[in-house]
Amino acid sequence: MERRKFLGLSLAAVALVPASLSAIDFRETKPDAWTAKTVDDAIKALYGDIKPEESGIKLNVPKIASNGGAVPVKVKSDIAMKSLTILQDANPEAAVATYTLTEDSIVDLSVKIKMGKSGSITIIGEGQDGKFYKASKKLEVALGGCEG
Amino acid sequence: MANMKIKAKIKGDVLKCKVQATHEMMTYNAAKKKGVEANFITHMSAKVGEKTVLDVSTSQFLSKNPILKFQAKANGIKKGDKIEVTWTDKSGKTVTESKKVK
Repeated sequence: MERRKFLGLSLAAVALVPASLSAIDFRETKPDAWTAKTVDDAIKALYGDIKPEESGIKLNVPKIASNGGAVPVKVKSDIAMKSLTILQDANPEAAVATYTLTEDSIVDLSVKIKMGKSGSITIIGEGQDGKFYKASKKLEVALGGCEG
Repeated sequence: MANMKIKAKIKGDVLKCKVQATHEMMTYNAAKKKGVEANFITHMSAKVGEKTVLDVSTSQFLSKNPILKFQAKANGIKKGDKIEVTWTDKSGKTVTESKKVK
């Protein structure tokens, strides 16, 4: 019995650690960004009024995605980033994911996302130098995947 | 049931990781149709020792059973180290799994 209790406690402790270690949990610090309907609103909620440079980030998405339930998104950049956000305008809400990056991170990320219909994907990167970078690409979705 | 698959590899001075979480990723729309509660991964992080190599807040628009690939500078991480990946979903469930870096 004692041992069970101990195991349970240590598990709970492990579960709590990442939350306290993570630099920023964007879901808690910026709740508005996750309910914003448009890309512009989400950017404003996340970073404020910014004028990102349209360079520095390489975004790789298929021109035509056959399955909207899993659209591969690849992001690459040589710039050291503080954070990076993936947004799109095909779903009810714009925000998809926000990465918190450190100086040790290499900006070479790949993730699969859902797209309800054809639209464009926008990446906003916040550089360690305080500047903002943007990349955006349109794509067509043959079969919407948002309804699962 | 396995909650996630983790692959981590050191190549030169770069740590390459691939994580697949087993999760339904139920969006609000889909949940409404099925009459169940929406549930999706909201936060995922990965650590090697004390060092955080991934930290991402996510919304419901990641694909079902999302795969995330990421890289980091190795800086002191070596083969045999343990990588620990944790995700939390909307219902508050937290899962942590670890794997050796190859």
